[in-house]
Amino acid sequence: MRTDFVVREVATGLRRNVTMTVAMVLTTAISLLMVGTGLLAVKTIDATEAIYSDRLEIRVALTQDVSTADSGCTQPICAGLRSTLENSPLVAGVTYENQQEAYERFQELFAGQSVAELARPQSLPATLRVKLVDRDGSTEAGAAAVKQAMENQVGVRTVIDQRDVVAKLFDFLGGVRNVTFALALVQAVAALMLISNTVQVSAYTRRTEVGVMRLVGATRWYTQLPFLIEAVVTGVVGAVLAGVGLVVGKIAFIDSLLAGIAQNGVIPPVTLADVLTVSAYLVPIGALIAGITGYVTLRLYVKV
Amino acid sequence: MIRLERVTKMYKTSTRPALDRVSVEVGKGEFVFLIGPSGSGKSTFLRLLLREDVPTRGKIWVTDLDVAKLPRRKVPRLRQRIGVVFQDFRLLTNKTVGENVAFALEVIGKSPSTIRKVVPEVLELVGLEGKADRMPHELSGGEQQRVAIARAFVNRPLVLLADEPTGNLDPDTSQDIMLLLERINRTGTTVVMATHDHSIVDSMRRRVVELDMGRVVRDEAHAVYGVGR
Repeated sequence: MRTDFVVREVATGLRRNVTMTVAMVLTTAISLLMVGTGLLAVKTIDATEAIYSDRLEIRVALTQDVSTADSGCTQPICAGLRSTLENSPLVAGVTYENQQEAYERFQELFAGQSVAELARPQSLPATLRVKLVDRDGSTEAGAAAVKQAMENQVGVRTVIDQRDVVAKLFDFLGGVRNVTFALALVQAVAALMLISNTVQVSAYTRRTEVGVMRLVGATRWYTQLPFLIEAVVTGVVGAVLAGVGLVVGKIAFIDSLLAGIAQNGVIPPVTLADVLTVSAYLVPIGALIAGITGYVTLRLYVKV
Repeated sequence: MIRLERVTKMYKTSTRPALDRVSVEVGKGEFVFLIGPSGSGKSTFLRLLLREDVPTRGKIWVTDLDVAKLPRRKVPRLRQRIGVVFQDFRLLTNKTVGENVAFALEVIGKSPSTIRKVVPEVLELVGLEGKADRMPHELSGGEQQRVAIARAFVNRPLVLLADEPTGNLDPDTSQDIMLLLERINRTGTTVVMATHDHSIVDSMRRRVVELDMGRVVRDEAHAVYGVGR
């Protein structure tokens, strides 16, 4: 195989269809940019879930009478509930928060707001805060067990699963991811068609060359490789542009948008390393998709 | 060198076969004119030899290759043994004369050193020494056909197929091209030339295979174009 020959043919081909090549690069870039955004969303969701699975707990709120009467969880009802919980293999630990402690935390949480002034220790329930054991990356089993054991028990007002609250956030992030992937898919179909079309146009504009090549007995590889490499080059350039787009997007938008909540630890920050890793994945993805499309097109539509 | 055994070629678009039970044998180093009116099957004959198409029935051998049964990946091997020249030259207009000839070697993977050595030799053989850097449009029709012949011959094929090579040329230039083909034939290359040109066939007095409606109606050594007509 003569590399200089192939390189020259590829350069000629890309130059000759320059508008088509640019269109192909841009479409590929946008489609891969969306794939990259989707991947970053997935990564953020996973990291967020990891953060919360450590922090999230089940709160067993006690009834008014038990809350007021028992500030140290020493009396039979509260102590009984507590030991039931502590004896469960799915529970990692139980702490008791009495009305006074609940009040202090409330004040801290809503400092400066009018609800803080209105609240009284007696109006807040005492709670048993249950930390769950993580089994296979999930606290699902523990949560179900605790709920089943505590609900409708004497002295229990409600059982609050914090994960239910956070689930809404995850639903939102998941929605973002799904929409991004759906758009990426549509865009990818357009990119594939463009690549296929460009390969056909490219082969057509060079039909004399290809004709001569076939007649003098050039192998399939010699006749097809320049077209394939052309497709792969545009795929790679598109992927690199998509990577640049992701970095720019992170610096220009994501950083300022998520700065507040990321600093507070509500969601993990999107790091430059994350973006670069995803960008690095996009390059072989772009090359592979373009290459396969090119190959299939040549097989199906182009006599070379 | 070339053998066709009861070769029939049907095209889907036609009820009449393009070639009808054609049997022809061409020996090594022979010079054969393939004549007949338009639509008589001359081009189909050449296309089948090149494996541009496969016969509907019958067998074709070129050298030791069973052309009809040749797997696709071995087709290049067949074509590297055959040189082809057309009426319309089919030169690459954006390449110089030298590059056009070199192209045929580059695409079959010959080394640059071989190409540098062989291209000037073949240009000299066809009478185009010193014109390697010209562009095709700067040459006359006859010279362009010489470039095409140089390109077809540069890999020293065993067989040279020529489809109306003088069809676009005036009689004098045609004669020059025939002298060139004769010279190539003398190197031992088998030449099969499809033509309409009476005067060339008559003056060369070579073997003539005449096709009509896809059938071989005459196969005669040292013949002329229009015998018995």
